[in-house]
Amino acid sequence: MQGKKYIMGLFKDEDQVVSTIAALKETAYQFQRVHSPIPSHKIMAALDLKKSKVGWFTLVGGILGLISGFALAIYCSTQWNLIVSGKPIISLIPFFIVGFELTILFAVFGNVIGLFTQAKLPTSKRMAFYDPRCSGEHFGVLAACEPMQQDGLKDFFQQNGGEVKVFD
Amino acid sequence: MPQLTYTSIDQTVLNTLSKPKKYYWAIVAVLFLGVMVGAACWIYQIFVGIGAGGQNNPVGWGTYLINFVFWVGIAHSGTLISAILHLFRAGWRNPIARAAETMTVFAVCIAGLFPFIHLGRVWQVYYMLPIPNQRLLWPNFLSPLMFDVIAISTYLTVSTLFWYTGLLPDLAAIRDRSEGTRKKIFTILSMGWTGAHDQWRHYTRGYLFFAALATPLVISVHSVVSWDFALGIVPGWHTTIFAPYFVAGAIHSGLAMVLTLMIPLRKIFKYENIITRDVLENVAKTIVFTGLIVGFAYATEFFIAWYSHNSVEIEQFRWRLLGDYRWGFYFMAVCNTLIPLLFLFKKIRTTIAALFIISLIVNFGMWWERFVIIVGGVAHGFSPHAWGLYTPSMIEYGIMLGSFSLFFFLFLLFAKHLPSVSMTEMKETLEHRGGHAG
Repeated sequence: MQGKKYIMGLFKDEDQVVSTIAALKETAYQFQRVHSPIPSHKIMAALDLKKSKVGWFTLVGGILGLISGFALAIYCSTQWNLIVSGKPIISLIPFFIVGFELTILFAVFGNVIGLFTQAKLPTSKRMAFYDPRCSGEHFGVLAACEPMQQDGLKDFFQQNGGEVKVFD
Repeated sequence: MPQLTYTSIDQTVLNTLSKPKKYYWAIVAVLFLGVMVGAACWIYQIFVGIGAGGQNNPVGWGTYLINFVFWVGIAHSGTLISAILHLFRAGWRNPIARAAETMTVFAVCIAGLFPFIHLGRVWQVYYMLPIPNQRLLWPNFLSPLMFDVIAISTYLTVSTLFWYTGLLPDLAAIRDRSEGTRKKIFTILSMGWTGAHDQWRHYTRGYLFFAALATPLVISVHSVVSWDFALGIVPGWHTTIFAPYFVAGAIHSGLAMVLTLMIPLRKIFKYENIITRDVLENVAKTIVFTGLIVGFAYATEFFIAWYSHNSVEIEQFRWRLLGDYRWGFYFMAVCNTLIPLLFLFKKIRTTIAALFIISLIVNFGMWWERFVIIVGGVAHGFSPHAWGLYTPSMIEYGIMLGSFSLFFFLFLLFAKHLPSVSMTEMKETLEHRGGHAG
């Protein structure tokens, strides 16, 4: 990617971003990413993204939690093998509460791990081609082009109603 | 909200993070003093023994357990607002979700302190952990107290992670609008969040799962707290309605605390355009609903006591109505059920002063509800010769003062150093009328 020019079109309107993305696909410029202050269904739909895999991490965490919860309660009770009030040593109904709580806990751990690994956080890489206005009121569409196409890409963003930021 | 724009939202919230005035630090200092009073009382109790508190036979569970249940209850509405109303796509929850979530985290932290305080020999707290030890002792997971350890620590962990995840985009927004040390701090805290589309793709999914997991958790946590009582055979405690009764009561008290915190916050930080009268009105309407549920539960307890033909249970409820702690019962019945019905009048639920006063009354009533349930049960049990009364000691009052001071102390620090309204979710409200659309 060395030698490429990175240019961002900054828009204030979500719909302009959607139309710009559609138009960008028809050009030779290379779409990189969109920065936005809010999660936008319209932008997601325009980018035609696959569903996130975070849910699988959550599911695995939940299953591990359920097993761990029951295993913990069963292990602890078998270490103190004394029948009290005629109740069985391994009493599944009360142990379900431990299983349930750990299901939620581990599912959340899985969710957090999934979210952070999939979204690649923490990171400092994306700060390189980023405009701080994108966490305020602007939507930034980042595209790359060959140095000689730079003016064309700038014009493209301007024609679509955006401000232009060129990264050195 | 026609006058709100992305810029005005950012500006309003960022203005709240400006350098605090002297009176802010004066209030923080007073609250810190309250925290120190509580800490001193606890230290005194550790040296002298648990007898420094007023709990004694037959009332072994006093203000420490009352405050524990009270603070867990306060925590619940934060999750109701952030998770359950998120799943219902109730856009009105967005302006208050952040502060309510923060309230949850602080309230659970404070609630979690009370079992430690009640332990007496607090240094032996590790007995509750399932770790190999030379005593060959393991926790008994048949005990509702062990359910509680698991449930509360899960709730604290989950609500903290949920809160922090929700904060990420706003931390980045502050990073992008600050300089110097603050920028460095928020750069670390925001972890490189840039709002790139692939970050949002995973974030919205993860946030949805957070909400979906927090919803059953919040219901389970106060159910588990209620089983601390309901699984005992003490008259007044041993009842199957405790779980839904406690969950509804928890949300009732938490929503009241939301109003108690939001109304001054709205005034001081000039959030009138963000936390609108409609938002507060919706909270008030929900309080009417939860108030009716707790009122129904109060009545059901009396009905079942009569219907059971169980003389001990009948005596417990006769005594609740006419006995030594009858004032506590009158407080809870009037403050939690009857007074919130005033919110049925539009004029009252849209008057800020009325909302604030009634929220304080509900908080007061809910504290007394816990007193009536917890103390009432053990004070007037099976054997008349073992009946007895309970008066909290000054040490307990000191610790209670410390807990309330700690809550408001933490909340004040939060309000001036982190965004107390979610800028991202407010912007989403302008676009979609919903939260982190998943």
